[in-house]
Amino acid sequence: MGWYILKRLIAGILSMIVLITVAFFMMHAMPGDPFSVDDNKKVDPAVLDRLRDKYGLTKPIGEQYLDYWGLLLRGDLGISLKPEKQDQTVNSIIAETFPLSAQIGAYAVILSLIVGIPLGILSALRRGKATDLSIMAFATIGISVPTFVIAILLMWLFSSRLGMQISHWEYDFQHYILPVVCLSLGPIAYIARQTRSSMLEALEQDYIRTARAKGVQEWKVIVKHALKNALTPVITYLGPLVAGLLTGSFIIENTFSVPGIGKYFVESVTGRDYSMIMGIVVFFGAFVVVCNLLSDILLAIIDPRVKLDR
Amino acid sequence: MRLLDVKNLRTIFHIGVGNVDAVRGISFHVDKGEFLGIVGESGSGKSVTMLSVMGLLPEYASREADQILFDGTELTALTPRQMRGVQGKEIGMVFQDPMTSLNPLYTVGQQIEEPLRIHLGLKKAEARQRALELLDRVEIPDPKTRLKQYPHELSGGMRQRVMIAIAIACEPKMIIADEPTTALDVTIQAQILELLDHLKKNSGSSVVMITHDLGVIASMCTRIIVMYGGLICEEGSAREIFYRPKHPYTWGLLNSVPQIELHKHKKLIPIPGTPPDMISPPAGCPFAPRCRHCMQICRMMPPPETVLPDGHRVFCHLMHPNAPKVEREVNA
Amino acid sequence: MQYADTDLRSMRYEDLPASVFGPAEKRDDTEQIARPSLTYWHDVWRRFRKNKLAMIGLGFILIMTIACILVPMLSVYSYDGMDYTSMNAAPSWKHLCGADFMGRDLFIRIMYGARISLTIGLVAAAINMVIGVTVGGVSGYCGGYTDIVIMRIVDILSSLPSLLYILLIMLLLGKSLTSVIIALCFTSWTGTARVVRNEVLRLKQSEYVLAARLAGARTPHLLLRHLVPNAMGPIIVSTAFMIPNAIFSEAFLAFLGIGIELPKASWGTLANGGIKDMASYPHLVIFPIIAICLTMFSFNFIGDGLRDALDPRLKH
Repeated sequence: MGWYILKRLIAGILSMIVLITVAFFMMHAMPGDPFSVDDNKKVDPAVLDRLRDKYGLTKPIGEQYLDYWGLLLRGDLGISLKPEKQDQTVNSIIAETFPLSAQIGAYAVILSLIVGIPLGILSALRRGKATDLSIMAFATIGISVPTFVIAILLMWLFSSRLGMQISHWEYDFQHYILPVVCLSLGPIAYIARQTRSSMLEALEQDYIRTARAKGVQEWKVIVKHALKNALTPVITYLGPLVAGLLTGSFIIENTFSVPGIGKYFVESVTGRDYSMIMGIVVFFGAFVVVCNLLSDILLAIIDPRVKLDR
Repeated sequence: MRLLDVKNLRTIFHIGVGNVDAVRGISFHVDKGEFLGIVGESGSGKSVTMLSVMGLLPEYASREADQILFDGTELTALTPRQMRGVQGKEIGMVFQDPMTSLNPLYTVGQQIEEPLRIHLGLKKAEARQRALELLDRVEIPDPKTRLKQYPHELSGGMRQRVMIAIAIACEPKMIIADEPTTALDVTIQAQILELLDHLKKNSGSSVVMITHDLGVIASMCTRIIVMYGGLICEEGSAREIFYRPKHPYTWGLLNSVPQIELHKHKKLIPIPGTPPDMISPPAGCPFAPRCRHCMQICRMMPPPETVLPDGHRVFCHLMHPNAPKVEREVNA
Repeated sequence: MQYADTDLRSMRYEDLPASVFGPAEKRDDTEQIARPSLTYWHDVWRRFRKNKLAMIGLGFILIMTIACILVPMLSVYSYDGMDYTSMNAAPSWKHLCGADFMGRDLFIRIMYGARISLTIGLVAAAINMVIGVTVGGVSGYCGGYTDIVIMRIVDILSSLPSLLYILLIMLLLGKSLTSVIIALCFTSWTGTARVVRNEVLRLKQSEYVLAARLAGARTPHLLLRHLVPNAMGPIIVSTAFMIPNAIFSEAFLAFLGIGIELPKASWGTLANGGIKDMASYPHLVIFPIIAICLTMFSFNFIGDGLRDALDPRLKH
């Protein structure tokens, strides 16, 4: 177990190094820099050059890259390059915006699990019946309809039909519910489909017949013997899901004016805010690596065969 | 004394293309303390028969029977809940493939303890103690370690021993072994058979052994039922079946058993053709298309039961007084 | 003497005449197979055809493909032709789906959008398949260090949300159809590569490939003759699901405003453009959304249908 975790951890760190390198050079290969975007056309070029100097953008790229690693290893993600952010550190921006994204994401993860898994089980147990067909119809809609379409529809319904104010963010139930529902619909659909099919597969296994031959109660056959086996693919999906939802969905945060980290990322990407982009890439990357690792460990705890397979 | 008495059992699988008549109205019994063998090739309905008795059919199958009387209880009248009191407690079952029949996510111990806790209401510690004894009884070395291991850490033979331990956990009156050795190495096969025989002799419970291999049961079975196409062909004591078989299918089976008596230079005689399509089974005797003694009547109606004086039952038109006298061709 | 079945049934068994116990005429039905056996692909097609939703999906995509090719060629409107007299016009016979804030006909813009979306979907899926199959096949077939190195790269690429890469690549390459496709293909092939590698590994160990090798089959021959057709099922399925994913991702990028350059518009751009005035002119959002949703449904139905048809064991 310890070896397994260590191996996965090293693989995770390796992929982080690759990601950071690729992202860094890719970003610097982009035409223009944070100070040559349209808004700055009226500003005196000399001022812009001073700014470039101040943030070290005039140094050779290799040196900038090494400098960045120097910062990173000290746990510092740098300073935002946007003048309007007034030299805020990337760390503090993340600290400010991530909790809200994480909170909404966590609610969405919980919602997707507590709705998706039971729906999938129900669907599997009522295979071919009306319940199954309607759940699967819902799941197909959930998978096929893009998130932003759901967002648009919900927004249209709640703001122009029910007169709700969505254009600015408030920390109340009303404002949480829409992004959470929006974020979880896709995962609910996916989890329900996955649970259903792996549940059906599990129910056909020989060991289910063995359990029945032992005289195990039906609900125990379903929960203890079938579900536990059926959940392994769902757990594999859990890592990327948690990572994706907790780090905020760009679209959802944009649409519902959530001041979360996703919204910041899009803003900084379009604004060429180098350190902000790098900061978020590093943060996201690390987060995803950790989430995947956790879900792999969880899988190894549930399924004793996993340890041997790698 | 009869332990199990089945009358006119019919099992139908409702699958997409049509209905499969897997078992087509058979009657048989199992005596107390006997070792019964049910022989037939795949698709003959031998496994389905016992699964029907156990109430372990998949949901797309339906079972009808005039009677399934087990130790004084009419099983057809039981609710699924009551049936669970029989499954694992009164009847234990060992399945064909020990690789897939154990739940990969639970330890061997947990799986053996499960029926003990359900049926005997044992506490965790007691169940663990019993499980240890059971592993010992099925001759697994170092049971303490094995108890904590997962199925994938055991060999095929070990797993089958665990399956047997589960089946005998609650001291059942009957053990059904569905091709328990088919998936195992030949050397392991003999060990498992020996173990089953040994357990049966010690406990006095009945064993029903389902197999496609006559050789497997030759030495242990007291009685043998030969099945083909969802029907019984012939039933009798092991001695009768091996030395005085009456049904051409049984002849075929006996002639296709390899024997290691090299000096005799016996030739294997395979049965030509393939088993019948059970979606639209032939109207008459199911074996008629492959039978070298097939008569006109065989294609028209299924043969009725002929009981010989020693209780030997045969379902073959050749037993009719008007039928030609045919002798079994022996491989020479 | 010939007896009818009914005569015999009414008779007691003991009284059956000796004549029916004569040998039956030889019938060569022992080896007959009851149902016609089909080749694998015939069978797949037969199962696929039975799936109504998948057929509807296929029909819709075909109609959409033909329409998006023909309609812009035949229509009087063009995607950037402005008509100030019909700004934000509601749907009518003149403008089937209405017109946008610059008076551009929405129907024709949706048809152009279909060209973009379908092109992106198909091209991305094709590239994805080629890269995925090649990489996965090489990795699985060669094994050893090649396999380890390739799978590490795949692990690294797929361990991070593809959106990060896509956004960065879009910024690097600028807004255009090509850069969207490159961005979408950058990481998506990893899934296919994994599937193919696992299939190849599985097949390499399978007994019939071993048998073919023992029979003296050469390596490339073996690969083409056995591995490829057998790995085809999973490859087709993952490709089929790649199409809606690519369309979805493009719509998503367009919605964020980093898709292809204006005034050309994909469905995502159209939906995003209409969102500001959604309250007053809902048709500007609704029609593009309908187009996206129907297409996504169709491709997902086709994907589901293919999966069920290719591997009936998975069908539940």
